[in-house]
Amino acid sequence: MSGESILVKLQKIDRRYLYWILFIGLAIPFIRPIGLPIAVTPSTLSLYNELKTLQPGDVVLLNEAFGVGGIPECMPATAASTKIILRQGAKLIFVSPYVDYQILWARLQELVPDFAQKEYGKDYVFLGFYAGLEAAVAQLGANIRTVFPTDAYGTPLDQIEMMKNVNSARDIRLVLSGDTGDWCDYYIRQWHTNYGTPVGEIGIAMLGSSYMPHYRAGVLFGMSVGSRGGAEMEKLIGEPGSATVTMDSINVSHLLVIAAVILANIGMLSARGKGGK
Amino acid sequence: MSSIFQRQVVYLVTAIIVAIMFIDFFFFETSTWIGEQVQTWGMVIYNIAMGLGAIRMMMSHGKVIQRRSTNWQYSGMLVGLFALTLITGLVGYASTGDPQSNSLYDWIFSNPYVSLDATFYAMTGFYIFSAAYRAFRARNIDAALLLMAGCIVLLTNAPIGEVIWNQIPIVGRWFLDYGQVPAMRTFMMVGAFGLLAYGLRALLGREKGYYGEVAGGK
Repeated sequence: MSGESILVKLQKIDRRYLYWILFIGLAIPFIRPIGLPIAVTPSTLSLYNELKTLQPGDVVLLNEAFGVGGIPECMPATAASTKIILRQGAKLIFVSPYVDYQILWARLQELVPDFAQKEYGKDYVFLGFYAGLEAAVAQLGANIRTVFPTDAYGTPLDQIEMMKNVNSARDIRLVLSGDTGDWCDYYIRQWHTNYGTPVGEIGIAMLGSSYMPHYRAGVLFGMSVGSRGGAEMEKLIGEPGSATVTMDSINVSHLLVIAAVILANIGMLSARGKGGK
Repeated sequence: MSSIFQRQVVYLVTAIIVAIMFIDFFFFETSTWIGEQVQTWGMVIYNIAMGLGAIRMMMSHGKVIQRRSTNWQYSGMLVGLFALTLITGLVGYASTGDPQSNSLYDWIFSNPYVSLDATFYAMTGFYIFSAAYRAFRARNIDAALLLMAGCIVLLTNAPIGEVIWNQIPIVGRWFLDYGQVPAMRTFMMVGAFGLLAYGLRALLGREKGYYGEVAGGK
């Protein structure tokens, strides 16, 4: 076999081999965890610091705008944030524009044992699903009761103790939006701009670049980006969870991507040096 | 004649709604009754549109099944599963007010749906890995610089980057803060100005496509 053919082959590895390499690479940390230290980024630290300023009685709206596919990236930071919110004595309103809302609510309750010490209707409330994109978010800000006359179980909001004095965005201390899409934009435009309500973001890794300008401009008070953000939040509250475990896989997958890119480029440059295309 | 009238009605309704929302937003500290009503109507229309979408989807796939068109079996599965989910959800809702109380509906969501959704999402990682290998080639100096920056940002996002070289997160942050943020900010501002211009043209009736589609005109 000539040297040139190996270089050419380096550029044309069958994708099935790549999939197997990635699969095995991702499996190794689960068998033998690496456990590298995680540094906390400024955006996650800001999110944590703002949540720590919550006072007993403050009301926080948690908007879970992701499906079950987004759970690995968004749920760890959401769970850590919910723990902080409840431990600060603040009250929590849970809403979701995704049909997976009941699964998300159930998963959040599993991950946050603090709910057991809190009372439904007094410390937290599950309003459930809403449709209508940005118009619905605007309406929520103006009058929550027009979007949710009742909670997810059919109880009128006026009969729920913690909702008696909560009518609009003005009665809510801050919003936390878990996202795989544009929902944080809606809250920025309809809540932060109109009412000055602070908005925080818990997004998938891809959204880091989209929302970083908002964070740097002070529009978002904090931001958790992907599994890494979740792991940082878990580190900040001192309770390692699923995101911390995932970090090993993130290390392996990122290194593999870089290795694959280097390999392909070595092949291309060497072939070009020998007169190939 | 009727199409002209139809178009005028659409212009008029749009103008009234815009005027109400404009005044509501800029002249009142809190939303007015009429402003709230318009927004509620918007949500109602959105929900009706979702229902209409579901009906239209059933009609479309129903035709595919009826004509035994290509891959009609998939349409059959879609219609069957749609009906099953709808009926089980409605049964649960009718009995307790909570669709999830129906065990079959709950099973559909908690097992096949969750597993399939998570699998589809996770599979993108494999495609990205393969695509990175195939597409990220340093064919010229620009591509080489982009590739280097990309690799540094990848290592910034993974804790192992700091282990390899403790300056990697600093360099990566510099790329993000002074390269990516200004570019993204410019992109957002340009998009926002474009949206403003589009909105203004639509309000003035100069965005023909928008009104044409609604009113059925040209």
